[in-house]
Amino acid sequence: MNRTLIYLAMAGIAVVLQTTLLPLVLPGDYKPDLLLILVIYLGLHEEPQHGVPMVYLLGCCYDGVAGSFPGLNGFLLLGIFLAVRGIVTRVNTESSPLLLMLVIAGTVLQSAMVAFALDFFSQTAHIWLLMVWQLPVQLLSNFVAAFVLLRLTVWLQRTFLPRRNLPGLRKLDRRYES
Amino acid sequence: MWEWWRKNKPLLLGGLLLLVALLWYSVNLRQQDETNFLESVVLRVTGPVQAGFDRMIGGTADVWGHYLYLVDTAEDNRHLIEVNRSLRAVLTQSDEVRLENERLRLLLDFKEAQKIATLPARVIAEDASSWFRTVMIDKGSDQGVTEGMPVVVAEGVVGRVVRSSPRFSRVLLITDASSAIASLLQDNRARGICRGQGDQMVFDFVLRREEVKVGDRVVTSGMGGVFPKGLVIGNVKSVDRQEFGLFQAIEVEPSVDFSHLEEILVLLRSPQ
Repeated sequence: MNRTLIYLAMAGIAVVLQTTLLPLVLPGDYKPDLLLILVIYLGLHEEPQHGVPMVYLLGCCYDGVAGSFPGLNGFLLLGIFLAVRGIVTRVNTESSPLLLMLVIAGTVLQSAMVAFALDFFSQTAHIWLLMVWQLPVQLLSNFVAAFVLLRLTVWLQRTFLPRRNLPGLRKLDRRYES
Repeated sequence: MWEWWRKNKPLLLGGLLLLVALLWYSVNLRQQDETNFLESVVLRVTGPVQAGFDRMIGGTADVWGHYLYLVDTAEDNRHLIEVNRSLRAVLTQSDEVRLENERLRLLLDFKEAQKIATLPARVIAEDASSWFRTVMIDKGSDQGVTEGMPVVVAEGVVGRVVRSSPRFSRVLLITDASSAIASLLQDNRARGICRGQGDQMVFDFVLRREEVKVGDRVVTSGMGGVFPKGLVIGNVKSVDRQEFGLFQAIEVEPSVDFSHLEEILVLLRSPQ
């Protein structure tokens, strides 16, 4: 229950940052998708029975602040979560570069799913053409955001909560990697 | 069979969940123009936070800008800055007031020219995703704002309201890929559909035989039932009339600068 509230609070902070602060400081209409990073992290560290309902709920709430298609973000985030869960037993989840690689793969998967869901199901015309141009910048911004968040979170944990074992954070610390 | 099920259970269950989510999204497309309960709750919860954050950021940016300005100049000419600091602050503040005044006056002139009742609102947040173009405004159903209402500024059309809660609403910008407006060219009255393309727009379904020039003004035709007739959308940026085909490929530059959207007007009564 506590973890769920923490994740919901983190998602809330991500949404407020993405809608108010980041558009002011970043050029153009590009902003990192912090919720995508959170969902990939959840995919690495949460079991499906807990993760699936939470990720879908996050997606449905995300519809309230992103796009105009109810259910789209639930579908996207659920797809990304399940894709990460699908490979989690085959990779070393204790590696922090893995999270960065997964953010890149997750961004590509997300844009492919958006293009599929909009081009095939709605009246939106050729959104994939638009996304092809935007994808490189989106990849870069998501990658940089994931890298900064990774370093910042580990530093915050070391500085303020050195004795606490927050889920996943110790694993992401370079000192614990082989 | 049981062995096969046990072996592929995670994959099958995952696929099934994803299919259910896709079906739910597909079913919801029919109610795309209505705000559902969860979206309304999200708007109610995030709206005040975003509005507060928007005000805080504005204040902080103002203080930060002034501070940096003073430090930089102090390195060059500390004495003069000390003498003129208060005067400059007053000047900067009055400049800001003057600019705001100009914007509001423009909006007021436009409002008076409109026969439809309008409601001024402030943009407080942008879309959370980079793939879509929506903004959140600080007026909602308590002030009479409902889904489908057109949103404009003095320069032209901004978009239409797609979600509304009691105090906040979301506006789909005309540059969003899912936006389409029945439009016509002001000069030769050629009809078409203006579709969003991220930062630009395209003017689809204009017949090849129509004479279209770069710079021609594109306005709303009033045919879609959402926007009143004659609102400016933008100007033709490029025309590609190929040798074959029924239609021309026309790019349109929106007349509104969406990167500097601050105050907008909601047209409270639909033209129908």
